[in-house]
Amino acid sequence: MSSGYVPGLEGIVASQTAISMVDGENGRLVYQGYVIADLAEQMSFEEVAFLLWEGRLPNRSELDALSLELANHRTLTQAANITLDALPTDTDPMDVLRSVVSVQGVEHRLGKPSVPLAIHATASFPTILARFHRRQSGLDPIQPRADLGHAANYLYMMNGKESSPEVVRALNTYLVLLADHGMNASTFTARVIASTESDLISSLVGAIGALKGPAHGGAPAAVIEQLELIGTADNAERWMRDARKRKVKFMGFGHRVYRVYDPRAKILKEMCRRMNPKFYELATKVEEVALQILHEEHPERPQSTNVEFYSAGVLQAIGLPKGYFTPTFASARVAGWSAHVLEQAAHNRIIRPQSEYIGPEPRKPIPLAERV
Amino acid sequence: MAEFSPGLEGVVAAETAVSEVDGANGRLIYRGGYLIEDLVPVVSFEEAAYLLWHGELPNESQLDALREQMATARTLNKSARGTLMAMDAATEPMDVLRTVVSAQGASKSLTKPSLDEAIALTAVFPTIVGAARRRGQGKAIVEPRADLGHAANLLWMMHGEEPAPEKVHLVDTYLVLLADHGLNASTFAARVVASTGSDLTSCVVGAIAALKGPAHGGATLAARNMLDKIGSAEDAEKWLREAHARHERFSGFGHRVYRTYDPRAKILREMAKTAAPDLHRTAARTEEVALAILHEAHPERPNATNVDFWASVVLTGAGIPKELFTTVFATSRVSGWTAHVLESLADLRIIRPASRWVGPEPGKKPLQLTKR
Repeated sequence: MSSGYVPGLEGIVASQTAISMVDGENGRLVYQGYVIADLAEQMSFEEVAFLLWEGRLPNRSELDALSLELANHRTLTQAANITLDALPTDTDPMDVLRSVVSVQGVEHRLGKPSVPLAIHATASFPTILARFHRRQSGLDPIQPRADLGHAANYLYMMNGKESSPEVVRALNTYLVLLADHGMNASTFTARVIASTESDLISSLVGAIGALKGPAHGGAPAAVIEQLELIGTADNAERWMRDARKRKVKFMGFGHRVYRVYDPRAKILKEMCRRMNPKFYELATKVEEVALQILHEEHPERPQSTNVEFYSAGVLQAIGLPKGYFTPTFASARVAGWSAHVLEQAAHNRIIRPQSEYIGPEPRKPIPLAERV
Repeated sequence: MAEFSPGLEGVVAAETAVSEVDGANGRLIYRGGYLIEDLVPVVSFEEAAYLLWHGELPNESQLDALREQMATARTLNKSARGTLMAMDAATEPMDVLRTVVSAQGASKSLTKPSLDEAIALTAVFPTIVGAARRRGQGKAIVEPRADLGHAANLLWMMHGEEPAPEKVHLVDTYLVLLADHGLNASTFAARVVASTGSDLTSCVVGAIAALKGPAHGGATLAARNMLDKIGSAEDAEKWLREAHARHERFSGFGHRVYRTYDPRAKILREMAKTAAPDLHRTAARTEEVALAILHEAHPERPNATNVDFWASVVLTGAGIPKELFTTVFATSRVSGWTAHVLESLADLRIIRPASRWVGPEPGKKPLQLTKR
């Protein structure tokens, strides 16, 4: 009955989905039938979230209703505020997000995942992050503004002032690009949790925990750190060849699914060119050298730049602190996570795979007093 | 692409030496090769946890060291305590557990899961579960007692009085029985989170989130609720026949893996006779009738009683309020979750399965907002 063990479930189909498709062969990311390049710079995050949840783009009145619902759920519960303020100011913002999303979403009785709950959760992420960022900086929290869109309000609550339309647009595009991505590890975590008929918040909290891992969402800050170590474009080749001898991993390269250039990385790269020329100059050189070295080492492998690499430059240009890169990723992906939970709940079967036992054959235990 | 097996049924997702569910023969094997029925008469929960973590049963001095380490890790830190006290007293206890564990484990920088952390997390569960109960009752929180074992301390913190030895024995045996069970949904969730390189708290929080679902850990409460509705042995047949006619599922029956009687259910059924004689009478009659009805309906299916059914009777006999059943399950299973995470570190590979696209043909062009 059980098939052979495939590490990491690579290539094993774990779900059917109509939410997004990663077409790795052709370098396409598709949301509900739309290719990401057609959505990225034209749609608001709100429209794309609606698309992921409802399967179609909203009309004007539906979009207005969604925007209002989001704006109305930007405040935290008292318990969430107390929890947030009880965490030490040097806590990893991902741990803050995990804990405060958990308390913000507590229930008295088990509720079924629903679109309204998805909206409420999505609305709360920026408030949690901004409040904690302000606290870390010794500043008072800024109340959310209902007249601002999702991206604009996030930056407003972080900085206490409105950002330029260009910066808001950039964050919006980032959020759209990162909103969903097939059966990645955090989305899969959310679906495993949902498959036990648990609640939406439980799925989201689990997904945040998975996104935190450096092999998943935890990488963009590491990209910046590596670029800082390299310092200048002239130094790139020497530093990187040397680093390779020390088995240092190049941050921002390689992906299990894409065999060609990640379509999101392409868009983010162009944004970096416009918005963050200093980063762009260094990053393009590092990219060139990294791809060259990786190709020399493994000519058979399609090594390409992943989304994290140029995400780092865009988020830096937007003015977000490094520690908030992964939590901002979570603020985008919560739209996709909740869409997948809704889909899982609609066609549920508990996700309970098999394991292969590699331990010793059955034997008898020795009583405590006789053990050496 | 590979075939799609809904719920990953029959798909091997990990190699493990932590435990093996031999469904065909009705055997549960814990790490080291011990059959569950051989361990139960010989070991305490602490010994079982040691076994899952180390692969060997402890000798006396190793067990003393573990007990001491657990006793000193029973206190909540400041953030966890603040979080606990901020939550409404009527909050669902699994949500309290999910949130407080998250806050207790919030840290400044990413750490690799370690055995010390596994011990500390396991040690603190009874403190949170006990506090959730006390607050739910409007009573003062009871401080942990270092002189009590894990099971006794759990009862102490819930009830605030010295627990009777036979109740301690019931809880301890239950904790040993439920400590691990192959690649169930919560353990699998923990392993998926771990596969991204995330921290142990994130893994455990994700697992709590999955255990909460009624199709998983919530099933013990569902079984008890059904027994409450049935009321007495005399009413069992009538109630079950009517429920079956309404297409209601019987709680506490059926399991994906076992094709014979679950060995844990067998042990718990025996314990239930003296633990809760009245409820046992109702349950025994319920089991008899339910199995007969299920057999009539699906003679081809191996419809056996599962662990949740008899666990609900034993936990009732141990004086655990039913609202706390799932949290007590978590208190046991956290030892297995952490053992699995620690095991997975030896060969960490991101768990990122594939999905099958069932959405619209890619390449659809989005309409402008005003034209929708």
